[in-house]
Amino acid sequence: MTFHWLRQAKGAALGAALLAGIGSAQAATEIELFFPVPVDGKLARDMAAMLKEFNEKHPEIRAVPVYTGSYDETLIKTRAAIKAGKPPAAVIMSANFLTDLAIEEEIQPLDPLIEADGKTPDAFMGQFFPALHGNAIVGGKVYGVPFHNSTPLLYYNVDHFKEAGLDPEKPPQTWDELLAAAKKLTKREGERTTRWGIMAPSNYDYGGWILQALTMSNGGLWFNSEYGGEVFYDTPSMLGALTFWSDLVHKAKVHPAGEQKGPGVSTAFLSGQASMMLLSTGSLTHVRDNAKFPYRVAFVPRNLRNAVPIGGASLVQPVGLDEAKRKAGWTLIKWMTGPEKSGWWSRATGYFAPNMAAYETPEMREFLGKNPDAKIAVDQLRFAGPWFATYKTVAVRKTIEDELQAVLSGKKTPKEALAAAQKGADELMRPYVEQTALKLPATN
Amino acid sequence: MIPGEITPRLGFAAVLVLVAIWATPFAWMLVASVRPGAFGAGGMASLVPDFVPTAANFAEAWDSADFARYYLNTILICGGILAVQIVTISLAGYAFARLRFPGRTFLFYAFLIQLMLVPVVLLVPNLRTVAQLGLYDTLPGVMAPYFASAFGTFLMRQAFRTIPQELEDAALMDGARWHELVRHVYLPLAKPSLIAFSIVSVTSHWNEFLWPLMVINDPDKRPLTLGLATFTRGAEGAQAWGVIAAGTILVIAPLVLAFALFQRRFVNSFLASGLK
Amino acid sequence: MAVRRRLALPAWRPKGLLGLALLAPSLVFLGLFTYWPVLQVLWQSLHAEARRQTVFVGLGNYRALFADPAFAAALVNNLVYALGTVVPSLVLALGFALALSSSTRLNAALRAILFLPVLIPLVAASSLFLFIFLPQVGLLDHYLAKLGVQGANWLGDPDVALWSLMGLTIWKNAGYYMLFFLAGLQGIPEESYEAARLDGANSWQRLRYVTLPYLRPTLSFVAVIALLNVVTQVDHIFILTKGGPSDSTNLLLFYVYQQAVERYDLGKAAAATVVSLALLLALSATSLRRMERRTDAEEAR
Repeated sequence: MTFHWLRQAKGAALGAALLAGIGSAQAATEIELFFPVPVDGKLARDMAAMLKEFNEKHPEIRAVPVYTGSYDETLIKTRAAIKAGKPPAAVIMSANFLTDLAIEEEIQPLDPLIEADGKTPDAFMGQFFPALHGNAIVGGKVYGVPFHNSTPLLYYNVDHFKEAGLDPEKPPQTWDELLAAAKKLTKREGERTTRWGIMAPSNYDYGGWILQALTMSNGGLWFNSEYGGEVFYDTPSMLGALTFWSDLVHKAKVHPAGEQKGPGVSTAFLSGQASMMLLSTGSLTHVRDNAKFPYRVAFVPRNLRNAVPIGGASLVQPVGLDEAKRKAGWTLIKWMTGPEKSGWWSRATGYFAPNMAAYETPEMREFLGKNPDAKIAVDQLRFAGPWFATYKTVAVRKTIEDELQAVLSGKKTPKEALAAAQKGADELMRPYVEQTALKLPATN
Repeated sequence: MIPGEITPRLGFAAVLVLVAIWATPFAWMLVASVRPGAFGAGGMASLVPDFVPTAANFAEAWDSADFARYYLNTILICGGILAVQIVTISLAGYAFARLRFPGRTFLFYAFLIQLMLVPVVLLVPNLRTVAQLGLYDTLPGVMAPYFASAFGTFLMRQAFRTIPQELEDAALMDGARWHELVRHVYLPLAKPSLIAFSIVSVTSHWNEFLWPLMVINDPDKRPLTLGLATFTRGAEGAQAWGVIAAGTILVIAPLVLAFALFQRRFVNSFLASGLK
Repeated sequence: MAVRRRLALPAWRPKGLLGLALLAPSLVFLGLFTYWPVLQVLWQSLHAEARRQTVFVGLGNYRALFADPAFAAALVNNLVYALGTVVPSLVLALGFALALSSSTRLNAALRAILFLPVLIPLVAASSLFLFIFLPQVGLLDHYLAKLGVQGANWLGDPDVALWSLMGLTIWKNAGYYMLFFLAGLQGIPEESYEAARLDGANSWQRLRYVTLPYLRPTLSFVAVIALLNVVTQVDHIFILTKGGPSDSTNLLLFYVYQQAVERYDLGKAAAATVVSLALLLALSATSLRRMERRTDAEEAR
């Protein structure tokens, strides 16, 4: 009796739901977007506004922006959510985690979705700057869609240049010129240095990226972009780069000793205690809003060639999504990386827009006209290459960052540091290497 | 005061100096939060205000997060955890202190394991459990792992054991049931321990960041720490110190106010009976 | 009803059942969120996970753990960190409590200031200290420079960074512990002081022979919290140094985090957890046992 009544009630509820469903065409697919905040809290608000607009334009989908902390925390939360059976439909993931996540089979290739739209993966990726492809395509498959990207950039204080007798129109282009300028810009009172010629961050994550920029400018490669099990730490090009940085600190004394953190570097520059800095293009808006003095930006100086790694993040889809969420997430990803939204996000953050068509929009042209510094950041893309990304990227990177910090603190020489870093990295990657490149046919 | 007792005065002077040091970060925060453009020429660290104060940092911090709601969520989380904990720890504390049952010692040590666990390793297993219980992305999901407290149980057990057995016997003679006993005899007498535990519990959950970050997705369910983190942690080297300072002040102001208003009464009442 | 009454159990049985019944609510939650994950951790410490596949490796994770110099470094760092924060925080907290024990208006204000750091979530406190510790431009270096002292790279020099973090921890916790000592002080009967005064005891002697013995229960209580705090709270390391530079501020718990998250080596992370669990269990068992013996003694009395 009771059961019968219950079933009836359920039936009635189901009927009502069906009727309601017919009324509003179909029930909206609820999806979540995990996003880290790259610069400050204002952007969390911008992200919410962007998804609100998306939801209004796509009534069949309801996307919720989920703030997930730093890039690292976003990775933890994504992994935990996958294991708990609640993967988000899209994640803004640090671009150099993609290789590792693809090897571990935690994110899925987007090729089937691209093909379902009637495009080839090549044609789809063709809308983004070529420099970004290396970190988005793993093993021939598209695993990520570039969302916001950056490169390292040389920022310099125009007033300090004039005061030191340097021409602000001619920023240092080579390492020699950089060293000479830094020497002129450094100020001392007795033993105490009151102004540093140049500063660059060397904390975890940032330090490896800057060292990669120097290595690439020195003709080097850092890692095998075609294979996730090799890094080139103990090589002449890297030794040259690390020695140059070490000499800035210990020989020329134009750069402070010890590890420097990103916020420390930007704060020192903005308060006039450092005349030049190597920092991400992602900080452009922050510097523009806060610098009380004229500043300029320039390409990262070269030794052998102009070359920098890219940075930033891509949109990815974790494994374990049902078909409806996958499709809804894909719609969101395409919408967010289209020219219009890409350009708008770029102007809000200072990152450059990965979608080349964004630079053809009138808003973007006007913006670049007003902010020539943003244009230089985009121009440098011609010389950009992929960001280091290997099996166990973070740990492999940390082996050299620990050594970099030891060198900058005067505890090790560049030579011994690189040998130790190479050894540590090889050890970390060995399981993968044994399963892949060294995999031999069974003999028995 | 007996002559020749300079040490207390010297000690007090030393404490004054230390209090000044303790207060310095807050003084800087106050100054920085109203400093226009946090990057004056090298004077950003100065504690002496040399500018016309601005409310811009506060406005920006206030706009960047829904603080009123986050406050409510944090209060719900801390309050909910504490309410359930008080029940579980009083019951368990009473059982361990006064009842005899098989496996008592073993269970007591089994409880203590909870104290030593490293939260990070528990993230994935606990998140899985929370999801299976249907509590993913809910406030009870944030609270559930803390409902049992080994530390609280231990404290209550200690407190209950120091209460004279005669009191219990007398109450039992009057026909009191065990739950009346706990409610009317044990708990009132263990108040100092309860208060001490409440402070420990609330302060630790008030601070918590990583676990709520894992459980909560819905922006409307974020606790304060997540709201604060949205602007205290820039990824690529940009830190707006003024906004961070203003946001931190916004977050702690109500608590500081409450503490300043009630602390004398609070400290005194809590202190009156002493802590065992 | 009648049936139940007829089956009335011998006197000891209901009590035994009652005991277990009272533990039941705690045991349910402990089971779900402590024992079940601990079992998973134990299981995981014997396995390796790669590319979504799990293989049994026996004690391989433990061997790898003890062979890792970073693990040894984290152990040593944790020891230095524990000694260097627990002892000073307790001494300062006791000093604060003694100096501010009488409830005057001034004392109330001073207590409030000392308690302020407790109210700041570590997420915010760490950002604050990131600024304070900035080389050159930070609060600390700015004022040191005014005194003509060359500051340090507080968080960036491997020889200094751990000490800077210890400073932050002491600042954050001393006021917290002070509160418990204040409570303990109130429990000391005024007559004990009177008696000591009449015997001509000076302030040091009164502290040594009256105050401290009375405070011993509080002291062991606070020591246990402090110890647990030292091992289970690493948010500031997470935000300020990530264990760097060159692993100089890597603590046990952060090491576990690194294995689990950065290296995604869940087996080794689990093994490290098991080892630190064993260490902690031994450590706090001793201090808890001491607290317990005292209560036993009181009970006997």
